[in-house]
Amino acid sequence: MVSANTFHVVATELVVGAYSLAGIAFLFCLLCPWLPTSIKEKRSAGDAVAHSALMFGIIATPFAIWSGLSSAPSGDMGSPLLANKMLLSMSGLGLALGTLVGRWRGGAAVWETRRSSIIQACSGAGATGLMLLTASAGGTFSRGESLLDWLHLPYNEVMLMPTYLSVVLLLLGLACTVVGFKPTD
Amino acid sequence: MLKLRVKVLLLLLVLLGSTTFGAAEPGGNGDGLRDMQCGGACHGDAGQNATSSLSLSIETPEQVWAGQPTQVTIVAAGVDVSHDEDLVGLFLLSSTNANGDTPLSNGWEILSDGKGGTGNYVERSTDGSGVSLQHTWILRTDTLGEQTLFASVHHGDATGSSQGRPFFGISEAFVINIEPVPEDLPRLHENFVPLSMREVGEATLVELQTKFTETVAIEWQTEDGAILDAPVNASGEQLWEFSLPATLKPSSLQWRATFTGQGPEQTTPWFTLAAQITPAEVDDRPIYIQGLAMGLLLFGAVVALQKPRTNPEAALKTFDQTAEIFTVQAAEPVAEPVAASLSDAPAPIPEEGLPSGWTEEQWAWYGHEYLAGTYGGGQ
Repeated sequence: MVSANTFHVVATELVVGAYSLAGIAFLFCLLCPWLPTSIKEKRSAGDAVAHSALMFGIIATPFAIWSGLSSAPSGDMGSPLLANKMLLSMSGLGLALGTLVGRWRGGAAVWETRRSSIIQACSGAGATGLMLLTASAGGTFSRGESLLDWLHLPYNEVMLMPTYLSVVLLLLGLACTVVGFKPTD
Repeated sequence: MLKLRVKVLLLLLVLLGSTTFGAAEPGGNGDGLRDMQCGGACHGDAGQNATSSLSLSIETPEQVWAGQPTQVTIVAAGVDVSHDEDLVGLFLLSSTNANGDTPLSNGWEILSDGKGGTGNYVERSTDGSGVSLQHTWILRTDTLGEQTLFASVHHGDATGSSQGRPFFGISEAFVINIEPVPEDLPRLHENFVPLSMREVGEATLVELQTKFTETVAIEWQTEDGAILDAPVNASGEQLWEFSLPATLKPSSLQWRATFTGQGPEQTTPWFTLAAQITPAEVDDRPIYIQGLAMGLLLFGAVVALQKPRTNPEAALKTFDQTAEIFTVQAAEPVAEPVAASLSDAPAPIPEEGLPSGWTEEQWAWYGHEYLAGTYGGGQ
């Protein structure tokens, strides 16, 4: 039987690997207009890699979150690091899902205008950044060190909002989603 | 293009070549119950371990009674001599199987790891330890006869040419002979389990159950203090109780009992009682709600921003194939002059007059085709 700790390590490695690949591909797509023509032509490949890797990362993320909660020493948010991990991973998951849905609805046309290509690439790369921060917090929690230690991030401080403000944000997010999916005349 | 591929390949090779072997985790992995190789968790890969130069030995009392707490001390000599260990992980093992090799697997019970826990693995800083680092566990077993224990160590090297390399060491086997308890030996009851952890600020009442004991004396000491006596009260037949003072901060104190009776006087090992501040209970719901809110907000924001636009120009652009036609026309040979003249003036009426049944209007539209022989599909 595989313990929750081992399963969490496997799931997080999959998530971090997938998101890192997606992040690099998104940056490539963002920078394509300024690259030499021979490389510029590869944007469709970059687009496919970015979104495929992102989709794989999204599939693996819930397993990483679930196994992370199961393997936490106290089984709950007893540490500010774990709370930060939850907030960062949920934000990253939301951003990644939005990016993937945007690509699914807009098709390859998302790269045709400057505005939509910047939004697409930045949201994809942003999701990667949030997931890497989550992994860094996890490394700090379990091993006492991480690759991002040089940034001196305040993992031990949680920006916890009052519940009513969270509910307001939740409703705002719901409204944005409805507006985003509402068909235009 | 080839040059670019070569450059990318070279870059990848440089990156691969610049990676170092997995280092010991400088932050440690926490005390606990672990097998010798800790499942590869302490050091990235056991196959990358270098041999530690620390000299390991195990010290035990001359006589070890079955069912009675026994002090087992690991001594690691040669600290900070060959390497700058910084943090050392000490294992107390009962075999070298690398799996199922904790003392628990061979019938031992760990009553105290000396740090407030009951594991076989502890992490110790080498700062101020001198060249010899010692750590004591309290064990108990009911199994008579010879028992084997091993000491093992994991550490890194903070400086020098071996900086970051994981080091591993294991001692030779130390045999302990477990003897049956003499019948009249004043001693602790076999069921006694010492408390190893308590809350800061709380005094602790310890209840002792003994056998063949007439008097009990208790000594206690803080980490850096003198040895003090604690008053002991008899609370029943072979039952005793005493109180240990509260600590003001997370720290530990040690206590031991001396029993007198018909048999020879007995003194227990030093039991460690650590004090900690347990984190307050956290209500998880606000964190989950906030996480969900942040995720949904970011999802909704991206979906709304990337909503497909339906402005007329974009639609026109989508269906406008003019550019493609121009491309095709440019590639094809110039069309027949007849085609060009189709849009010009009506074709001249033949000298023999309009074809039978044709009107002038009909001729104006299709005259060119009639003359070219393509009217009606060339029929």
